Amino acid sequence: MKFRQILWLFLPATLLLVAFIAAPSFDLFRASVFDPDFTTEHFERLINRSVYLDVMWRTIRVSLTVAVLCTLIGYPVAFFINLQPRRRQTLLLFLILIPMWMSILIRTYAWIVILGRDGLVNQMLAMLGLATEPMQMLYTSGAVLAAMVQILLPIQILTCYAAMTEIDFDLIRAARVLGARPRQALARVFLPLSLDGTLTGLVIVFMLSMGFFITPALLGGRQDTMIANLIEFQVQRLNWSFAAALGVVLLVLTVGMIVALRGAGKLLARRVLKGGL
Amino acid sequence: MHIMKPSLLLTGYFWLIVAYMIFPALIVIPVSFSSSEFLRFPPEDFGLRWYGVYFTDPVWIAATVTSFRVAVLSTVIATTVGTMTGLAIIRSPTHAQAPLTYATTIPIVIPHIFIALGVFILALRLDLTDNEVALAFAHAAVAMPFVVLITSAAIRQIDPTIERAARVLGAGPFRAFRVATLPPLLPAMVAAAIFAFFVSFDELIIAQFLMKGSETLPMRIWADLRLDISPVVAAVSGLLIVVTTVALACAEILRRRAISTLAP
Repeated sequence: MKFRQILWLFLPATLLLVAFIAAPSFDLFRASVFDPDFTTEHFERLINRSVYLDVMWRTIRVSLTVAVLCTLIGYPVAFFINLQPRRRQTLLLFLILIPMWMSILIRTYAWIVILGRDGLVNQMLAMLGLATEPMQMLYTSGAVLAAMVQILLPIQILTCYAAMTEIDFDLIRAARVLGARPRQALARVFLPLSLDGTLTGLVIVFMLSMGFFITPALLGGRQDTMIANLIEFQVQRLNWSFAAALGVVLLVLTVGMIVALRGAGKLLARRVLKGGL
Repeated sequence: MHIMKPSLLLTGYFWLIVAYMIFPALIVIPVSFSSSEFLRFPPEDFGLRWYGVYFTDPVWIAATVTSFRVAVLSTVIATTVGTMTGLAIIRSPTHAQAPLTYATTIPIVIPHIFIALGVFILALRLDLTDNEVALAFAHAAVAMPFVVLITSAAIRQIDPTIERAARVLGAGPFRAFRVATLPPLLPAMVAAAIFAFFVSFDELIIAQFLMKGSETLPMRIWADLRLDISPVVAAVSGLLIVVTTVALACAEILRRRAISTLAP
């Protein structure tokens, strides 16, 4: 196909992305430092108030926790699917995909049904005579964590699974022939080879967590506010410039942490490849 | 290929985690058939009361219709633009394909709240807030990367010599595309369109920032969950869970076929 034709085919996407992604991003950066004259007041406010620093730190901490939990919980699940015959793998993958497709709003609502005052857990506890008073589970950090892990877990499982299917199983068979016990073959050959894809999954889950909004707002208390919730709150109070500064901070923290996680992952991978775990 | 048989422990663990992922959504369905005033589990008596409320409340219906309208427009835009982009990527020189894919799928890695805020601030200056068309375009920008990924994977499997043969035999570029490439590409496009539809239909934050007068369905659900959690949300959720699962399972089957059986 001619070069000119290819350029024409790219034109609509370029226009769409410039108008609805690039231009708004640029305008957001502009709004964070021009109000209406150049000012760094909004960023200074962010750094000088411990409330805002707390929210930033919490956003990173919660996102890291969710990413690590999804990795630890998801890796064996992906491994299990990989051990199945081909046809059954497809079926099992659908079990992972179905919850992933449901709207986050609805999946968060489901947790209200389960953890609420008259929810499933409290009803069961009462029925079994284990509790006389309903337990407070909604509006706690634990509720936010349980739901965020549940929502993001399918993504980590699928990423791990995809990485594992790339592994040449002859290598594991070779290790077995050379005398490695199954456990050894897994730890010394399979695990290092699946590490890169697993880390990619961890980074994706971390990145998605950083922007989480619905789940902390509905299941968490005041103490669970994340950056995205703060942005919404500031928009409601018409502090657009301050909200924009928060948006910039969110993006910078996310990108910075991704670079850091990737770097740490490379170091870890090198150590694992050298000496095993 | 098997290196080992999964142990009983691992099998049990797998099903436990599947239950953790799916069970919360399943629990919503019996709750939606409750007829009591409050959210309670197990429901005391069953009935279609809250489905009735949903289908007769003009506010809920208006929100659903608005969401549907926005999602349809957004799907048309995202599918058209995304398929053109997928085609352009695969027809580009091989070494340029990866960077071009990254460049056109970049919205995937940007938090929605960031896009929402940016679009909102820009819309404020251009006086485009509360505009359904602007919302549909913003949703299309977010959904397009998924269309690019799905269609480009399918186009890779289509033999380009057939289209070239059509050109040699005298068909114009559009006709050659329509008779040679479009038919085998159609299943992937339908799959991509279904995914794009639900990206828009389920999207809350961009809509929440941009719209003031009219409401989309996620905005309505959000408002309801923030004020008083009425079981109408359970009825709406029950409906959405069924519709989403069926539609996206079909889309996934189409997508899998498009990238496997077409292989030359």
